[in-house]
Amino acid sequence: MAAPVPWACCAVLAAAAAVVYAQRHSPQEAPHVQYERLGSDVTLPCGTANWDAAVTWRVNGTDLAPDLLNGSQLVLHGLELGHSGLYACFHRDSWHLRHQVLLHVGLPPREPVLSCRSNTYPKGFYCSWHLPTPTYIPNTFNVTVLHGSKMMVCEKDPALKNRCHIRYMHLFSTIKYKVSISVSNALGHNATAITFDEFTIVKPDPPENVVARPVPSNPRRLEVTWQTPSTWPDPESFPLKFFLRYRPLILDQWQHVELSDGTTHTITDAYAGKEYIIQVAAKDNEIGTWSDWSVAAHATPWTEEPRHLTTEAQAPGEHPHPLPPVLSVGLRCCLALSCAFQLL
Amino acid sequence: MLACLCTVLWHLPAVPALNRTGDPGPGPSIQKTYDLTRYLEHQLRSLAGTYLNYLGPPFNEPDFNPPRLGAETLPRATVNLDVWRSLNDKLRLTQNYEAYSHLLCYLRGLNRQAATAELRRSLAHFCTSLQGLLGSIAGVMAALGYPLPQPLPGTEPTWAPGPAHSDFLQKMDDFWLLKELQTWLWRSAKDFNRLKKKMQPPAAAVTLHLEAHGF
Repeated sequence: MAAPVPWACCAVLAAAAAVVYAQRHSPQEAPHVQYERLGSDVTLPCGTANWDAAVTWRVNGTDLAPDLLNGSQLVLHGLELGHSGLYACFHRDSWHLRHQVLLHVGLPPREPVLSCRSNTYPKGFYCSWHLPTPTYIPNTFNVTVLHGSKMMVCEKDPALKNRCHIRYMHLFSTIKYKVSISVSNALGHNATAITFDEFTIVKPDPPENVVARPVPSNPRRLEVTWQTPSTWPDPESFPLKFFLRYRPLILDQWQHVELSDGTTHTITDAYAGKEYIIQVAAKDNEIGTWSDWSVAAHATPWTEEPRHLTTEAQAPGEHPHPLPPVLSVGLRCCLALSCAFQLL
Repeated sequence: MLACLCTVLWHLPAVPALNRTGDPGPGPSIQKTYDLTRYLEHQLRSLAGTYLNYLGPPFNEPDFNPPRLGAETLPRATVNLDVWRSLNDKLRLTQNYEAYSHLLCYLRGLNRQAATAELRRSLAHFCTSLQGLLGSIAGVMAALGYPLPQPLPGTEPTWAPGPAHSDFLQKMDDFWLLKELQTWLWRSAKDFNRLKKKMQPPAAAVTLHLEAHGF
């Protein structure tokens, strides 16, 4: 007679254990995500618990001191970035998880900085943006481009997430382009816009492959060659002009040369034997602004190989040298120096 | 409404075709025309600044971005990129010639109304330079054997007393005239660049051709 009762008992106990287990370990509803402003105060209630419920709070698994509690609510003053984390409150005795908050401390966005540039004229232009100060929380940007009353598509850059590209449909337009950007996050919103003419934003990329070489037998010359930037699509119809600057490493003052065509130039007034640094910039012949300076090229003008000073012993019976060796070297040295003075 | 009596321009004496034997070809005159567009663009910058200040705000504000209303008869420089690239030489030159003929006409009208003597002087000087540009383009066209465009009957700009024009709308017309002029000068520089490249001596043309392939 006793057998069914223990079985029933076991079943009930097992069920109860299962429920308790489930309550303790079952996946809770996803933590509540909350964004709060840096420097502000926040009170986190423990879900639906009563104010006087006995609870313990933990952040990222670490217990929090009870003096931060106001009843069952967690109070945080003067939020700092370090306050971001996963906050959880537990029933004090049963350690039953009552509520979780994923707190992100951040800032609303300040006015974004927007700029546009055409380095591929006449194909199109691109616009890029950034926030002057970080918000520490995710932001979404929305860019619109207007040409007069016509809306144009700004295609996202495949690699850079703060850049998009616009293609010119028409050239030589008198109507300005207006690019607007709005940025928003959980704490706020901001926007800005810029307006410009087609011609004012043209700025090529710097020239590529700048190479400077000494010129044999010319101690004051350096030959510089470069290439038009590969991003400039049509140098035939839209030729570039170039600006070259150079100086010896030991001096601060640059020399400048402006070149209306061609991609080579020979410097003829280099200081003999000094290492030079050379850079080139490019600009459309008629419109826009100069590119940034290219990667620098270094070169030292050609110098004559120094002759070794040797004293040759005179073997007995040999004919004497027409000039004593030391004297002949000295004479050659003088001749070389006088040549150098004539060039300067 | 911009309208203009400009019969005088359309009856320029026909420039005789240059004697082709031994002449350097149209190259030097294309270069000269290119240089003139640069000179005029430079001159226009200071003239436009002065004139827009005379018109006063908002016309002299750098962000002024009005919708393009009215000024429909102004020759527009804007053109589809592919269309512009594929223009043949005759059409390219003709479009430039016609544009500047109209623009010169309107500028002369502007000059008549200008209030200060200094403005009138600057405008007159600019008009003379622009006349020079027109002559230069005509010279290139003649050298290449293209006829100067003659106005079709009915399309010749003549004075049409339009509806009463408010002061503000007149200023808007002036604004667009100067804007269009500036844009045309930029376009012409590119147009003449293209013509210059095409007129290179044969050897260089072959080199260009090869480079284009390698490009």
